[in-house]
Amino acid sequence: MSKINKFKVLGLACTVIAGLAATTTANAHPRWVLPSHFTVSKEGGDWLTFDVTASHGTFVFDKPAGSEFAQVVMPDGRKERPNFVIRGKRRSIFDFYFEEEGTHKVAINNVPSYYTAYKAGRRDTVKRLKANKAERANLLPEKARDVSTQLSYTRAESYVTVGMPTEKALEIEGKYLEMRPLTHPSDIVEGEEVSFQFFFNGEPQSGVTADITREGTLYRNHQEQIDVVSDKDGKVTFTPNVAGRYLMKANYKGELKNDPMADKASVNVHFTFEALLQ
Amino acid sequence: MTLLFKRLGQCTALCFALLSCLLIPTFSASAAPIPATAELAVEFSLPKIDSSMYARPYVAVWIENSKRKSVRTVELWVGKDEWLKDLRSWWRKVGRYDRALVDGVTSATRPAGDYRFTWDGLDNDGNRVEAGKYTFYVEVVREHGGRNFIRQKMTLGDKPFSHTIAPTEETGDIRINYLIK
Repeated sequence: MSKINKFKVLGLACTVIAGLAATTTANAHPRWVLPSHFTVSKEGGDWLTFDVTASHGTFVFDKPAGSEFAQVVMPDGRKERPNFVIRGKRRSIFDFYFEEEGTHKVAINNVPSYYTAYKAGRRDTVKRLKANKAERANLLPEKARDVSTQLSYTRAESYVTVGMPTEKALEIEGKYLEMRPLTHPSDIVEGEEVSFQFFFNGEPQSGVTADITREGTLYRNHQEQIDVVSDKDGKVTFTPNVAGRYLMKANYKGELKNDPMADKASVNVHFTFEALLQ
Repeated sequence: MTLLFKRLGQCTALCFALLSCLLIPTFSASAAPIPATAELAVEFSLPKIDSSMYARPYVAVWIENSKRKSVRTVELWVGKDEWLKDLRSWWRKVGRYDRALVDGVTSATRPAGDYRFTWDGLDNDGNRVEAGKYTFYVEVVREHGGRNFIRQKMTLGDKPFSHTIAPTEETGDIRINYLIK
């Protein structure tokens, strides 16, 4: 009996390690979520399915980013976990039954990661250490120089609306980089201007760079991406000229002041949305 | 100098405020309802389409005012409510906001053929609409087929008119006749 339990524990440990390894390999690739639908009109609700992966292509599955951290923010603001989660070799999927009227936020945010970059010895090679500012003192070589710790955090998110659109699930948490849609995600229409607002640790953030790319890049010669930078109020505006599914990859890099964990941050929001036909 | 401009600016703003105060009552007074005998008679047709997977299309016909706000859903020919969202424009502008309205106006899908229906000039709450500029909308979506989205601008008042809308892939001849009996 105890043997079986040990095996189980070992199995679990292996899964966790495999999971961590996958997360690490996925870091270089933007992680995103693709909902099967963005709108539910069926009375009594409907099942939707979500693909989660990390890749350089827009909506091309590549690395098996996990969905274990997936959350659905309900129209009243409470958080639920998906009903089914499966991890494959090139993506993970989860399903959720959407039955409450209003707008839901679907987020797969993982956890913050910290890397400390430093130089040591005669060469100027930059070395990296998986440690935050509090941990690094014990791990760095004695004569380490140019030491800097970076916080990385990525939100992969999208919105699903059942019936009438609502606003509660659009609210921000006040942590890391966040995007608050000023144009409601269910009201993004081809040829019409869209506005989003970026926040860093709860404050409007200027200088957030974002590229917005329509699906189907494999079948056209140019990315046809829209590039925007947030203004002094953290706002960006753009017009999707063609209906379709879009991925917005937003990044902000900045110094952190008086942060016990890191000196700087590189934080992302990877937001998937649809631009509807007129 | 800048102070002077500021003053001037304030003065102009005040004048505008005063003017608009004066104008608003006159404007609303002029927006009388359309005649009680007015109605919009619609001749509508769905073309016969040869397809191995033909399904009767979903059809929404509605009226919007000059502020692009829906005032009345005239016809809604649909099957399962799961697919209401495929009437993209009607769902976004009208359907998603009012389940009761959807239930009230829904009727079954129809085969290819000629149809006649009438809008009585009342809004969704049963009030006669004000005279002014409106848009007549038709959205037709077919499973395994296409979508056509048709807009026809019109001015509703005391003058009768008619408009003919050219056929599209998913719609046949459409004619709207504004009649005052």
